[in-house]
Amino acid sequence: MPLNRIFLLLLVILAPACGNMRDDLFPSGADRRPAVQEGTIGPEVGQQAPDFTISDSLGNTVTLSETAPQFRAVVLYFTMWCPICDSHMSHMRDSIIPLYPDVRFFAVDYVSGSVAAARDAQISNGYGGSPFTVLADTQQTVLGTFHATMGTTVVIDRTGILRMNEDFKDGTRLTQVLDALP
Amino acid sequence: MPAVMRRTMAAVLIAGIVALLPLPAWAGSCCGGGSAAGLVLPKFAQSMIDMSFDVERYNGFWNQDGDYLHDPPGTDLRQYRLNLGYAQRLAKRWQATASVPYIWNDTTYSGLSSRTSGIGDMALGVWYEAFDATVCRLGWDDLSFRDLAPAATFGLALTVPTGISPYDNVNSSFDITGRGFYRLDANMLLDKTIIPFGVSFLMSYGKAFERPVDREYGQYVQPYRKQLGDRATGSLAVSYIQYLDIGSSRRILTYTAAFSEVWEGESRINGSADPTSGFRKSSVTGTFAFSTLDRCWTVKASWNHSITSDGWGSNFPLSDIYSLGVSRAFE
Repeated sequence: MPLNRIFLLLLVILAPACGNMRDDLFPSGADRRPAVQEGTIGPEVGQQAPDFTISDSLGNTVTLSETAPQFRAVVLYFTMWCPICDSHMSHMRDSIIPLYPDVRFFAVDYVSGSVAAARDAQISNGYGGSPFTVLADTQQTVLGTFHATMGTTVVIDRTGILRMNEDFKDGTRLTQVLDALP
Repeated sequence: MPAVMRRTMAAVLIAGIVALLPLPAWAGSCCGGGSAAGLVLPKFAQSMIDMSFDVERYNGFWNQDGDYLHDPPGTDLRQYRLNLGYAQRLAKRWQATASVPYIWNDTTYSGLSSRTSGIGDMALGVWYEAFDATVCRLGWDDLSFRDLAPAATFGLALTVPTGISPYDNVNSSFDITGRGFYRLDANMLLDKTIIPFGVSFLMSYGKAFERPVDREYGQYVQPYRKQLGDRATGSLAVSYIQYLDIGSSRRILTYTAAFSEVWEGESRINGSADPTSGFRKSSVTGTFAFSTLDRCWTVKASWNHSITSDGWGSNFPLSDIYSLGVSRAFE
C-alpha cells in the first residue's frame, strides 16, 4: 500500500479513536443535573456550601461561614488572570457589582503560589483598587471544594446555601440568581 | 511552459500557503481550542501528506480595551501540537483535505502546574482551483497585464469538534484542546509569482453552528444554547525565491514574510450577544522552506509572533509559535 494511503488510513482511524468527543459531535442539551438532597454539604446548587478559611491578598483571613451572614450573598469568581477572566471581571466590576451593594464579591486566585504573588497579579491586572476582594487560594483548596475552574462563578446566600455554581458566560445567569435571592 | 518552471511555481505557492495557513491554532489552555493547520495540494500533485510540530509559548494578553497585560510572575504557558494532514486530488480542479492536531498543554503558574494532552479539532476541506495550470513569470521584462493575473483558489473548510472542549467530561480549563463547535469557513487564496518574488493573499470568513450545552467542565448545568461569533481572517505574504545548487542537484529556498489579522465576533447565548466574548489578533510570520526541485519534498520552518504592544489585539493571549514541518507530494 502506498505511503500516502497508509497515512490517510491512520488519520481516519486515529482521529475518532483518541478523543472524548461524542458530546461535542452530537450534543444533547438534556437537563442532566443530579437531584440534590437538601441539607447536605457539597458543591451542587441547593446544597449547603462547604466552609473554608483562606487569606485574602492583603493577608486578612476570610471565613465563609462568618462572611456570608453579613451580606445578602457572597459571590466567588475563579480567576487565573487570563483574557477571559479579565473580560468577565471587568464586566462584573462595571455592570454588575454597582447594582448589588449588599453582595460581597470575591475573586479567587488559584494560580498564584503565595499571598504576595496574588497581590502582585491583582495589581498588575488593574484590580488593585477594585471592589473585588482577591482570595489567595495557593493550595487550590477552594477550587477543589467547589469543583471550579477558570470562570466558575459561585453564589452562596446568607444562610450558606449554594445558589449558583457554573461558568460566568455573559453574566445574565448571575444577575438572575442575585435578583431571585430572598 | 517548462515542467521545471511549473514546479517552481508550485514551490512558491506552497511556501506562501505555508506562511498563510498555519495561523496560530487559537488555543490557550484558558481559551480552548486547537485547530489543525491548513493544507492545500499543489497543482501538479495527486496527493500529499503533511506533518508539522508546533511549539506555542504564551506571553501575556490583550484585554478588551486592547491594552497589553503581562501574565503573573512565574507563569510559563506552552502548547505543543503535532499536526497531521492529508490532501487528495478529486478532479483536475478539485481537491479534498483533512488534518488533525494532537495537542499537549503544559501549564505552569507560581502556584500550580498541569500537563494534559488530547486530540484537537479536525479540519476537513474542499478546494476549487480557478485555473488549469500554474502560470509563472520569470523576471519583469515585457510584462503584460495578463501576466499579472493571480492564481485563485476557493475553498470550504469544516471544523469538526473532535477535541476536548469545556463541554466534555473534563475537570479543568487546562485540559482543553478544542472549542466544541462545528464551524464552516469560506476561503479564498490569491497568489502571484514573478520570479524571484511572490505575493499571496488569503481571506476567510467562518460561521460557527449553534449547539446546546448541558455541561461545563464536567459539571451538569441548566441547559442553554450557545453559538460562537463569526470569524474573519486576512493574511498577506510576500516571498523571495532562491535556487541553491548542492552537488549536481538544484534545490529551492523560499523566504516568506506574512502579516495576519484575525477577528472573531461576540458569541451568542440563548440568542443574546455575550459582551465578554470576541477577540482580535494581529501577528507576523516568517517562514523558510527548503524544497527539492521536483517539489516532492518540502521542509519548512516558521515563526509566528504576536506584536507585544497595545492595540494589536484584544481579549486574546499573545504568543510565539515555532513550527517545523515536512510535506511529501505524490504525482
